[in-house]
Formats: sequence, structure tokens, C-alpha cells
Amino acid sequence: MPRSDLVSPRRPVAARVLRPAMWLPLVVMLVVLGAAWTWGAHRFPYLLPPLRAVGATLTGSPAYYLKNAGVTLEEAAGGLAIGFVAAFAVGVLISELPVARRAVLPVAVVLNVTPIVAIAPTLVVAFGFGPAPKIVITALICFFPVLINTATGLRSVSPQILQVYQSIAASRLEVLAYLRVPSALPFIFAALRIAFPLSVTGAVVAELTAAGSAAGLGTVISNASSMNQLAVVYAAIFVLAVMGTLLLLLVTIIERRALRWHDSSAQP
Amino acid sequence: MDGAVRAAAIEVSGVRKAYGERPSMTVALDDVSLAVAAGSFVSLIGPSGCGKSTLLRLAAGLEAPDHGTVRVHDVAPREAAAAKLIGLVPQTPALLPWLSVLKNVTLPQTVNRGAGKRRARFGDLGNGGPPADPMDLLRRVGLGDVAHKLPAELSGGMAQRAAIVRALGLRPDVLLMDEPFSALDELTRESLQDQLLDLWGELKTTVLFVTHSIAEAVRMSDVVVVMGSPGRVVDSVPIGLPRPRDPGLLGDPRFHGYENQVRNSLRRAWSATDAA
Repeated sequence: MPRSDLVSPRRPVAARVLRPAMWLPLVVMLVVLGAAWTWGAHRFPYLLPPLRAVGATLTGSPAYYLKNAGVTLEEAAGGLAIGFVAAFAVGVLISELPVARRAVLPVAVVLNVTPIVAIAPTLVVAFGFGPAPKIVITALICFFPVLINTATGLRSVSPQILQVYQSIAASRLEVLAYLRVPSALPFIFAALRIAFPLSVTGAVVAELTAAGSAAGLGTVISNASSMNQLAVVYAAIFVLAVMGTLLLLLVTIIERRALRWHDSSAQP
Repeated sequence: MDGAVRAAAIEVSGVRKAYGERPSMTVALDDVSLAVAAGSFVSLIGPSGCGKSTLLRLAAGLEAPDHGTVRVHDVAPREAAAAKLIGLVPQTPALLPWLSVLKNVTLPQTVNRGAGKRRARFGDLGNGGPPADPMDLLRRVGLGDVAHKLPAELSGGMAQRAAIVRALGLRPDVLLMDEPFSALDELTRESLQDQLLDLWGELKTTVLFVTHSIAEAVRMSDVVVVMGSPGRVVDSVPIGLPRPRDPGLLGDPRFHGYENQVRNSLRRAWSATDAA
């Protein structure tokens, strides 16, 4: 009777990763990239530092990179949190009130197509060189994808489900809490998978714009490149890449746990 | 309401419903009147687009008629819905994919908690008693083993059974079903018909059942209401077959007699539309 065969049991991740067919292509790719880099560093020493030098500065002063990474991460996380909460609240508002949707959505679309980088200098003037402008810029960058997906997700409940609950006079709040928000979760996580790494971009862009920033990986990059320390620039970029990847991994793990029921999360 | 003569559970009189604006207006229902006696099983049958489902939505209070009135136990459908007198089974199971079968079935008891008080004002409607135990109902329809599974793990027939249990769990006085079995294969359909008749016989709910299938309508109903396009009632065929109606009845000559009667009504409605 129970058709448990419909749900493919997930194979242990470790077993899959250990098969050469899984890891070999990536290793080959990395070796090729490393060789190309080494050749490039040899050919254009003013454009690319040797990998060895990047490794040396990373292992030589890990505390320096960790401290600055921490600063950038704090800005990114702060901006993401503010942007997310604001976007979720506005998303609920515009999905519940058509009037609000007509008022807010055009502004949000214009905000989205405006290069936030262009706003950054004015924000620095307004908020100074501290973390404030970086958080504001990150929040602005993260706002739009979360808003659009939240609004779309909240309206994705099937009409037949809505009718079942309307026929027992469920209140608007109950429909929102029991039907709309859970239905929106896959959409919201899709937005977060964009917004998490994007938040790092926002923070770095803000640091690069705010000449005279005290700390952060963007500041490290801008200072090091003005002093032609290529190895430091690329070390900071490497740390940023790792940071973005870890954030993506984090949101994917949370998504898998929260959306066990959802098809897209069940796919390998 | 507590008189000796029980009013109709659903009373539709002179209802007209149209969609769209003047030039391209579609008339879904045109001067439709219908009374469904409390505790009876009434089917609506007719060609696609004859307004069967519209009529069901009006009875559920999901839409309002342009003209005429719809009453459920002598109040507006919305008031009846507020008292949780109505159970709706849509065409698809419409289960929430993130909740287990059991939680899907119990969620309607969580929402609109004020309904109990409102319901008390209607007095005893003959099917009183507390809401049925959902787990018990699930076991009755063979879903006991899958109560903790997600809807995606169920077959179509199981999911539709869960949808029926969700509606019956509230002990609704009026059960509105919109072609609930139309997406199922023949054998599954027959076994679900059996189970529905079984539960209905026990819970004494009034049922308004929309279907495309003549055999299904005859087998299930006390009365088969035949509708034609655009949106009018053409005929009302009382089905005098004894209950309980087990599957053996399907071969009975009287059964075929009723089938033919309904089919002829449908045909007449069809040719009348054609001529118009």
C-alpha cells in the first residue's frame, strides 16, 4: 500500500564523492587552471602574481586576512539581514494589498535597474567611512531579489487550496501563515541563494568606493593595488571567493533542511 | 430550524451568474433553482461549461450570484462557511505539500476556531457530535499506514481520499464535491465511490456532487440533477435504488434504466442547445 518506492532514498554523500567519476573532472580542471595561471604569471608578471606568492601571503599573515574578512562579512551579514527583513515585510504588504503593489513595485523595479555602485559615493558622503554605508549598500542590493521572489511566492498558492480554506472561512492571517508563507519558502530560498553571495559583492563594492575605509577585504584590495602588491590583491580575492562559496553552502544546507518536502531540493 | 419539517440544506432560487463584460459576457448560470434536502446525496451532471462548478462555488460562498439567492441551512453560504458547516472537495486533492497527510487533514480544525460557537446557533442538524477523529477516518479509508507521509508520496487515489477525509473531519453538514474522482482510473474510482458511500451512510452529511459520469451519478445519488448549457437545470431524476448500493448493483437492469433516463435527459438538453 505505501508507495515508498516513489521517493528515491538518498545515497550517502561520502560514497558518491569518493568515486573517481565524481572528483576526477574537477581535479583535472584545477590542474589545467593552475598550469594556465603559472604560465600567465611567468609571461605577464605585472598582471598575475605567482600562485606560490599568493599562498605565501595567505599563510604568512592569516590573522590579517581573517580580521579583514570578518569586517567584510559583518557588513555583508548586517546588510543582508536588513535587506531581507525589509524585503519580506514589503513583499507581504504588496501581496496582500493591490494598492501597495501598484505603488511600490515600479519604484522597486527602477531601484533594481539603477546601478547601486553609482549610489555608493553619495551614501559614503551621507553615512561616512564607517560600516553604515556598506550595510546600506548591501541591503539595497539584496532587497530586490528577495522582494520579487517573496511577492511571487506568496501568490503561488493553488486556487483550489485557497478555495478549500475559504470554504471554512480561514482568516486572512491564517491563510498567510498556514498557506502563503510556506508556499513562498522555495521562492524565498531561491532568492537567498542569490542574495547571500551578492551581499559580499555589496560590501566589497562599498569598501572600494569609500576611499579611506579602515578595514575590510575591499579596502585591502584597493590599498594593495595602489601599492602594486599583486599577491595581496589576489589573496584577498581568494578569501572573498571562499567566503561566497561558504555562504552559498550555508544557504543550501538550510534550504535542504527547511524544504525536505520540495521537489527541487530532492534533486541531486 | 428545529421544526418538524426540515428545510432544505441547500436552496438555490432564481440564480443568475455571468462572467465578463457585456459584449463578450459568458452566462454560467441562468435562472437556476434547486433544493437539496438535508441528508440527501444529489449529483449535478451536464456537459462541460454548463455551470455545475459555478453552482458549487456559489454554494460554498466562494462567489456571489448576480441575481437570486443561495441559502445553506437558511443562511448565506458565507455565514455557513464561518460556522464550518461546509466541506469542500475540489477536483484535485489540493493537499499542502509540506505537511504530512495527518497534518493536512487536521489543519482545518486549527483554522477559524470561532466556528464552534457560530455553529452551535444552528442547533442540532442531525449529524451533530464532535469532529470525527482524523486518524480514525484515515484508517477507515486505508490511509492509516501513510498518515505520516508527505502528499508527494501518495498515489492519486490516496491523495483524493485524504482530501475527502480533510473535508469530513470537520463533520460538515454540507459536503460539496467538484468532480473529485474524475482524474482517477476506473478501479480506483469505484473503490473510492464505495468508501464515500460508506462514510456518507454513517456521517449523514448532505452531499452535492458534481460529476461527468452518468454511472457515477446514478450509483451515488438520491437525485440526479441534469444541467444543460447555458447554465440551466433541465431535469431532476430521483434514483429509487435501494441502499447500501454495493458494486453488484452496477449490473442490475434497474440501474441501466436510470442510466438511460439520465442519458436521454442529457441528450435532450444537448440537442436543445444545438438548435438554439
